[in-house]
Amino acid sequence: MTSETLPLTEYAVSARGLTKSYGHDSTRVEALRTVDVAFARSRFTAIMGPSGSGKSTLMHCLAGLDTADAGEIIIGGRDLMTLNDDELTMMRREQIGFVFQSFNLVPTINAKDNILLPLSLAGKSHDREWFNTVIDALGLRDRLSHKPHELSGGQQQRVAVARALLTRPEVVFGDEPTGNLDSRTGAEVLSLMRTSTREMGQTIIMVTHDPAAASYADTVLLMKDGSIVGQLENPTVATVTEALASLAE
Amino acid sequence: MLHVALANIKTYARRYIAVILAVAIGTAFLAATLAVNTSTRATLKNSLGDTYKNADLVAFQDWELAPDDPDFKYTELGLKQVQQIRELPQISTAYGTAFVSGELRTADDGYGVMLQPVSAEQNLGGMELLEGRAPLNSNEIILDDEHAQKMLVSVGDTVGLTGADSATRDVKVVGIQRTSTDPMLSGYALVGMQESAWEKSAGESAQFQNIVIDARDSVPAAQQALAAYLAEHRMIDVSVMTADEKVINDVAMLTDGTDQLTIVLLVFALVALVVTGLVVVNTFNVVIAQRTRELALLRTLGAKRQQIRSSVLIEALVIGVVASLLGVALAVALMAGLIQLVHVMVPSMSYATLALNTTGLVVPVVVGILMTVIAASLPARRAMKLAPLAALRPFDAASVKNRAGKLRIVFGILLTLAGGGLLAWGAIAGSLPIAFGGGLLSFPGILMLASLFVPASVFGIGKLVAGRSVAGKLAALNAVRNPGRTTATATALLIGVTLVSMIMVGGQTAKASLNNSIAGEYPVDLTVSLYERAVNEAKTQDLARELGSLDGIEETSTFLAGSVETKGGDNEGGFSLMGVDPQTFSKVVLDQNIVPEDGQIIRFNTGGEEQPKKLTVGGRELDVKVSSASLFQDLVTKDTLESLKTGDAADEYAGVLIKVAPDLSNSEITALVEQIADVANVESYMVSGGVVENAMFSQVIDVLLAIVSALLAVAVLIALIGVANTLSLSVLERTRENSLLRALGLKKKQLRAMLAQEAVLIGGVAALLGLVLGVVYGLLGAHATLSAIGEMSYEIPWLQLALVLVVSIVAALLASVTPGRRAAKLSPVQGLATE
Ligand SMILES: Nc1ncnc2c1ncn2[C@@H]1O[C@H](COP(=O)(O)OP(=O)(O)OP(=O)(O)O)[C@@H](O)[C@H]1O
Ligand SMILES: [Mg+2]
Repeated sequence: MTSETLPLTEYAVSARGLTKSYGHDSTRVEALRTVDVAFARSRFTAIMGPSGSGKSTLMHCLAGLDTADAGEIIIGGRDLMTLNDDELTMMRREQIGFVFQSFNLVPTINAKDNILLPLSLAGKSHDREWFNTVIDALGLRDRLSHKPHELSGGQQQRVAVARALLTRPEVVFGDEPTGNLDSRTGAEVLSLMRTSTREMGQTIIMVTHDPAAASYADTVLLMKDGSIVGQLENPTVATVTEALASLAE
Repeated sequence: MLHVALANIKTYARRYIAVILAVAIGTAFLAATLAVNTSTRATLKNSLGDTYKNADLVAFQDWELAPDDPDFKYTELGLKQVQQIRELPQISTAYGTAFVSGELRTADDGYGVMLQPVSAEQNLGGMELLEGRAPLNSNEIILDDEHAQKMLVSVGDTVGLTGADSATRDVKVVGIQRTSTDPMLSGYALVGMQESAWEKSAGESAQFQNIVIDARDSVPAAQQALAAYLAEHRMIDVSVMTADEKVINDVAMLTDGTDQLTIVLLVFALVALVVTGLVVVNTFNVVIAQRTRELALLRTLGAKRQQIRSSVLIEALVIGVVASLLGVALAVALMAGLIQLVHVMVPSMSYATLALNTTGLVVPVVVGILMTVIAASLPARRAMKLAPLAALRPFDAASVKNRAGKLRIVFGILLTLAGGGLLAWGAIAGSLPIAFGGGLLSFPGILMLASLFVPASVFGIGKLVAGRSVAGKLAALNAVRNPGRTTATATALLIGVTLVSMIMVGGQTAKASLNNSIAGEYPVDLTVSLYERAVNEAKTQDLARELGSLDGIEETSTFLAGSVETKGGDNEGGFSLMGVDPQTFSKVVLDQNIVPEDGQIIRFNTGGEEQPKKLTVGGRELDVKVSSASLFQDLVTKDTLESLKTGDAADEYAGVLIKVAPDLSNSEITALVEQIADVANVESYMVSGGVVENAMFSQVIDVLLAIVSALLAVAVLIALIGVANTLSLSVLERTRENSLLRALGLKKKQLRAMLAQEAVLIGGVAALLGLVLGVVYGLLGAHATLSAIGEMSYEIPWLQLALVLVVSIVAALLASVTPGRRAAKLSPVQGLATE
């Protein structure tokens, strides 16, 4: 694929020739082998694959949390690979949202301050209406003044989702955002994420092991040994399980 | 559990670097203090021993042997006795050492000297010839080399020598001997002369301090012979000691002062050790908090409480041993270096020796180890109490509530109240011991209560300073996340800063108050008294004019002093008056109330007694005006003085009164006095006055302040290491959180700034609280000490205190550099991956 055949503007995130390896000589692991990938705007994409296939590495590189060895990553028309640390930080602040598997919140401040953290770091005030929309959608209104340790695991994840959505970033990344939650709470969080793509037009990229979680996505990308080896549109639990099984062969 | 402890130390070695450093410095301080003591003694022994270096025995008149009888006649050891001793067959040589002063005149100048008899056959009086030969007749002398160089005298020169008999004769320098290193002698120029000539010069004072004796064969035999000789001549108050015994005796006499110095130093070492203890407590608290899961896991796997505790204590023991040994080695190296420095810088002090004894080496090691283990035992107890369940705790609580022990609070309140009361009482009553006791009680009391006010102040000030900055707010929150930790870290610094600022405020107030009381005793800034000159009004006026043109002098006036006869009143007889010219006097005088009018006498030091309105002096009746100032001489105008019948004309002298510029520094005043002495051609002691005395006191106080501050700086340094330590351990603890913040958009610079703010908050607030406490203690202490002397003048050295604050803040900033850099280096992904 070349950039002519892939107009960047259609995509929230796109990457070309992404390579990353860890260690050297005998311990060398190629976590990403020249990955070319693009994520369409306003879509919910799940990345799946066996353990060690490079899902987290890909996501960290795309999100500007880690640097790839080679390649280019375009978000909001800028190539992340050419940015210095401060510029990357600004990107994360303004264009990228995160939901991690655990330890998503700063323990010293309450839920509301956690949700507002990226905005306050940027010294910006928040859009009150949007804040209310997000909070109500996530059912956090009466939890705002609680400290993280006073919240359940699911509530903590919902706070993290709220934080990710509040800046209306170009893309929200989630690395197994529901990995620590029971299936009911997990389902709650996932349908919230789906709603936000459908109703708010939010682009979401999520890494998961769980076929049930992946079934909430519009698209599933399959990874193996550092490469993208397949793609599923409108996945269901059954098709995802099947695809994973065939990967394992 | 030993292997667990050792494995822990190995794994977490980096976390212990700072605490090892802190303990090592504390121990080094103690070891250096003890080494100063032993080395001073050895050095003194070395130098005092110079006088008896080649001798076997020393005989001397010993007050302690004299009977308690007022009629007892003390033995006088003179040449006669020395000669008798020489005749004893068991004695080879004997000579006396004396302190007889004389004066030596070269072509250019005169010098005070000590005269000492020497005889070529009798060891040359213990002197070592470097050049020339011994004096052979009464016109020949030898001189010590250092002073010969100073006087520009060499072998073959002729000089004038005046003895105690006031007779002056020309003598020839025929030899130069090595200058003694004996501190009781080395200050004087030492002249050796023939015994008979010496006896004549010394006149009535021809007596010896010591008779230094060499035995012919065996020392005991000589000792016996001497005992028999003394008994035969009834010299019961004469002691005979071996040279070694005598040196030890002399050293003991001289080192009373060193022991006091040692005690003072020990107090400072104690402060440093207390601060070190706090740093240790804190380190172990943090380390154990970080290992909660690990320790709880051990408990789950079946480790007994006792085993957990010993594992922590073993770690403390190992650290204590390593750090204490390091500290003692540091102290020894430091002392050796210092003494080497003395050898290089002051060659004449080649006798300075480094002396260490077992006690001086073992005690610091033991104290260092004990201190570490005892300090660690509190955190160890907490570790022991960990429930196995803690291993499974799902979420790190945002902030740990350490409840200050109720007992500690109650105790702290009692101590603070009792101590504060004593302190106030001591200050009001003007009693230093009471106030000191109050300070000793209340300060630990306040420290016990620190957990009540330190975290609150840190958070309050932190929020205030942060304003709208998120990093600032987070820093304030982080700074008090674990109040116990913050309190201990801040307290360590607070102790040092309180003590430093206390002595600064005390010193400044002392200076100001002394200045006050001195000012009351002097009518003018400076007085140049021309005691030795015939009174010559015109010349004195010229001198005043000349002095008035010097930089730093604002006004001058002249005076005339003389003694007058008085009848009646409480001082019949002669008394001294100062006559001044009221016009110019009023320009130099400090207190306009004491400018006399014609026919008036201003009287001082009347002790508040009712004085007659009129006083007849020198045959004239004068109006009396009483002043509460306390000058030495009563004042009249010059015209009045001239109209009086004065006493002995030889008592009359003139002089110049000077008003100096108001803002001269101490060194400028010292320089000005030298300059005035030079211009007026008088000795500098004839230039006297309040500003001189004040400059002198100020300088003494400044030197004391500098020394004490330097000593306390060690405690402050250790506390700052503690700040760095706490911060870097906390940063380790918060790796994931910091990475999360980075992922969410905190720049590296902001992360470093956040940690710097946290350090500055703890350091700055500790310093601030310390300053407040120090000012209060300083003022109360100064009041207790000085209020008896006179009117107090409270002064706070704002600039110095600000400097202390700035130093603390800058040091805290520096302390945050390494942890900050480490935190910022970590990529967000790495940080999030850590357990
Ligand atoms: N910091 C690292 N140092 C060395 N190797 C690493 C590091 N991080 C990841 N790897 C290796 O890179 C490869 C990809 O790892 P990655 O974490 O992306 O896998 P993953 O697909 O997220 O796996 P999982 O589903 O288990 O989370 C693995 O083989 C892993 O061992
Ligand atoms: Mg992963």
